[in-house]
Amino acid sequence: MVGLFKIAVSAALLTGVVLPVLSVPASAQAKRVQIRGELVDTFCNVSEIMFASGTAHYQCAVWCAVGGIPVSVRAEDGEIYMILRIEEDDTSAANPRLVRIQAHEATVDGELIRRDGVNYILVTTVADDKGVVKLTHDEHGIVPFAQ
Amino acid sequence: MLRLATIATLACFVSIPAALAADSVGGKNEKPLELTGKVVDLLCELTKRCTPDCGGGKRQLGILQTDGKLVPVVKNADLFGGAQADLAPLCGKTVTLDGLLFENAKMPIYMVQGIKADPGTKEFTPAEAFIKGWTVRNGAQDEWFRADPLVKEQIAKNGVLGKPGLQPKPQ
Repeated sequence: MVGLFKIAVSAALLTGVVLPVLSVPASAQAKRVQIRGELVDTFCNVSEIMFASGTAHYQCAVWCAVGGIPVSVRAEDGEIYMILRIEEDDTSAANPRLVRIQAHEATVDGELIRRDGVNYILVTTVADDKGVVKLTHDEHGIVPFAQ
Repeated sequence: MLRLATIATLACFVSIPAALAADSVGGKNEKPLELTGKVVDLLCELTKRCTPDCGGGKRQLGILQTDGKLVPVVKNADLFGGAQADLAPLCGKTVTLDGLLFENAKMPIYMVQGIKADPGTKEFTPAEAFIKGWTVRNGAQDEWFRADPLVKEQIAKNGVLGKPGLQPKPQ
């Protein structure tokens, strides 16, 4: 059983698939999940007003996080999860902890609450932080406003 | 084509004047929408982890409609600005917002451009409180997003591409 669980965790880490984790959630609607993906600016990603991933969009992603626009995790399957809590901190608007990991690729553990078509996640741990991974600036430049 | 794309991108971030109806930002699946409901703290609404002031500007906020539907309000009309400074002072109150709903299948979100906090008022107040608050805290700047201390710290540490030592090609 433990071996099967380890295989499932490894597969999830490799594929970015959301994995229910055996734990008691804080809310009746919540379920434990583990997601691998890129931390992204929610507005640019959802509105698709510009290219919004990797090095090309790093600066804008930081501006938006500092401005208070939600930071989300975009999983490798394309699903987007809006972060409402980070580790022990109930604040999520312009939170320096989130600003400092914005645009990084990482694995987050947390509680997923889905309501009215939105995935909300309360992040309990951030692990395997690889920093900014996708080198997109050669193709897309720096968006927006260059330097 | 590139010029048009650049203009469209810049237009996305231009501050919006007092609105009669929401202005397009060129987003995908955007829809002008007047949204009426109660201003709520999303974390409180979802988990009952509440504060009396909806987080005092440090939490993400939304509108709870009378039918129970919850809509996250992720942006105001300022360049790169969130909606907390506009909405947190209205915590728990019923308001009407003028703005854009982005109906992305992965996640619907709302951008507020104007606020009517009093049902007797005809005009929407522009949703531009982020810049006003930032200016009080930091002083007037042409581009807050380049002058902000936390932004400057991150760009100094990581560069504009987010990877120390990696530089963009000269233009």
